[in-house]
Amino acid sequence: MLIVIFAAIVSFPFFFPSPYLIHIGTLIFIFSFITTAWSYMGRFGLVSLGHGAFLGIGAYTSGLLFNYYGLSPWIGMILGGAVAVLFAMIIGYACFRFGVIGDYFALVTLALGEVVALTIIAFRDITGGSLGFTLKSMGTSLFYLQSEHKIHFYYISLVFLILSLLVWKWIDRSKMQKALRAIGEDEIAASTLGVGIIRYKVIITSISAFTTAVGGVLYAQYITYLNPHTLAGVPPSLEIAFKAILGGMFSLWGPAIGTALIVSLEEYFRVAYGSTFVGFSQIIYGLALVLLIIFLPKGIYGSLQAFVARRKKS
Amino acid sequence: MLDLLMNAALNGLLLGGVLALLAFGMNLIFGVVKIIHMAYGQCVMLGLYFVYTLVTHLGLPIILACLLTLPLMGIIGIGLQMFVINPLLRAKANPLTQLLALAGLTIVIENLAQVIWGADLRGINIQLPLISIGNVFLRTSNLIAFFGALLTLWGLYLFLNRTYLGLAIRSIAQDVDSSRLMGINPHAIYYVTMAAGGVLTGVIAAFFSPIYAVHPHFGGSFTMMAFIIVVLGGMGNLLGGFIGAFVIGLVTSLSAALTSTEIADIIALVIFIAVILIRPQGLLGIRVAK
Repeated sequence: MLIVIFAAIVSFPFFFPSPYLIHIGTLIFIFSFITTAWSYMGRFGLVSLGHGAFLGIGAYTSGLLFNYYGLSPWIGMILGGAVAVLFAMIIGYACFRFGVIGDYFALVTLALGEVVALTIIAFRDITGGSLGFTLKSMGTSLFYLQSEHKIHFYYISLVFLILSLLVWKWIDRSKMQKALRAIGEDEIAASTLGVGIIRYKVIITSISAFTTAVGGVLYAQYITYLNPHTLAGVPPSLEIAFKAILGGMFSLWGPAIGTALIVSLEEYFRVAYGSTFVGFSQIIYGLALVLLIIFLPKGIYGSLQAFVARRKKS
Repeated sequence: MLDLLMNAALNGLLLGGVLALLAFGMNLIFGVVKIIHMAYGQCVMLGLYFVYTLVTHLGLPIILACLLTLPLMGIIGIGLQMFVINPLLRAKANPLTQLLALAGLTIVIENLAQVIWGADLRGINIQLPLISIGNVFLRTSNLIAFFGALLTLWGLYLFLNRTYLGLAIRSIAQDVDSSRLMGINPHAIYYVTMAAGGVLTGVIAAFFSPIYAVHPHFGGSFTMMAFIIVVLGGMGNLLGGFIGAFVIGLVTSLSAALTSTEIADIIALVIFIAVILIRPQGLLGIRVAK
């Protein structure tokens, strides 16, 4: 089953060589990569509403280094990730040291996302402020992670998405998973059993931050334009969290399915009804989200999984 | 330079009065219903749109439009309680889930506003005179908002402290189970609180309408501002929120005059983060009993 779907996704551009469909596919892969990264920590009860901060840090570190010093985004990606990890470790340590969890953690991260966006805007001499900036064009060059052919990005982002899913699997098999699940269920009980709460939380936050920053670089390279309002701040941060929650942040495929659903829904409305009705798709999406959060906290895919499991049992 | 600072300080003080009113509603809702109202600023935005529509499309005088907005926003508050908060309470959702559900609601409200009113700036066009005292300039609209906010807060204080309904609200905020034993129906009080909170957003919208033009993403910054103040004063602590509003009003106004508005916002947000991390009970330091 999985192999069939995989083969279909890989061969898709050969059967439907439409640039538009390939573009949508690429967007779905990049955002799925980011939402999967968000869920690394989200599924252990560390719901961050500030992942736009990491997205922005990654994209701007790499983009600025490329534009000013001609540094290859492949190196920029690592550097951006490193800066994001540093940021995540400082903030994460402060939050976890003082026992900020649950809704308070969500609020702190929400504020952080906004701080990063405002910082980018405030240094407008370097970053272009609210207007953003465009990456210098290098034609088609894999070394500079730029391409005039959408198909290149389709496969690159697919590879990245698969890597992020493999990281998920790796986390699942590691000792960290058990520790974090224990922490997520009952923090005090876990700490009395000698689980290093702060250490594990900081590690998972750093992994998530690094991956998200890489996703930010990938997105910026694909669009070749950086803007603080789409890469940092409250709206992108909430979007990342909501896509993952809608699909189901507790299961491997949940974030990707949530992302695919939302991106295609948005595109469908845009194509079918024009840009004035984009608001409508967002209203439906918001309503669906509120209903899902209240009645199906496991998300669409997660609830489906639970339903199938229950049917098998009986 | 001194004039500039005087100007900034005085305007910060005026801003503080309005912010106090803004934070009061969120604080009250948090204290009583125990919910972080993520869509609070978006409700204020709806109120501003109502005023705008009543004035420009129906041609009503501004005062009447503002008065009509109050009950409309009250109904919206009741609707929120009925369709969003009650289901959340019934599902026994944890605080994080409640926060996310209300954050999801902001998407609905913002896009609804965009579909109905479009993405452009909408404002009622009135010019109020500028008052100058020496070298210090004050906008009449800001003065009206300041004194109006203080008057409203005084009225709310009397309501909470001198009426039986106010007593019931305060007792629910302190201890739901004991209040229930005293024959208070918490759900009825939740409705009253959400309606009051809704009317309050209408009042804020009325005072804001001569100052700001509104657009669909207008509310987010007000939600954030209200949060910062509520957390600074201690969540659920009404007096703390009142003091916090003036602190934030002065700090943002002065730092905006000295640097830029972005830096001022960053400072406010950093204060917010620092308070949550280091002093989660807020400045006044009264822990709300669990």
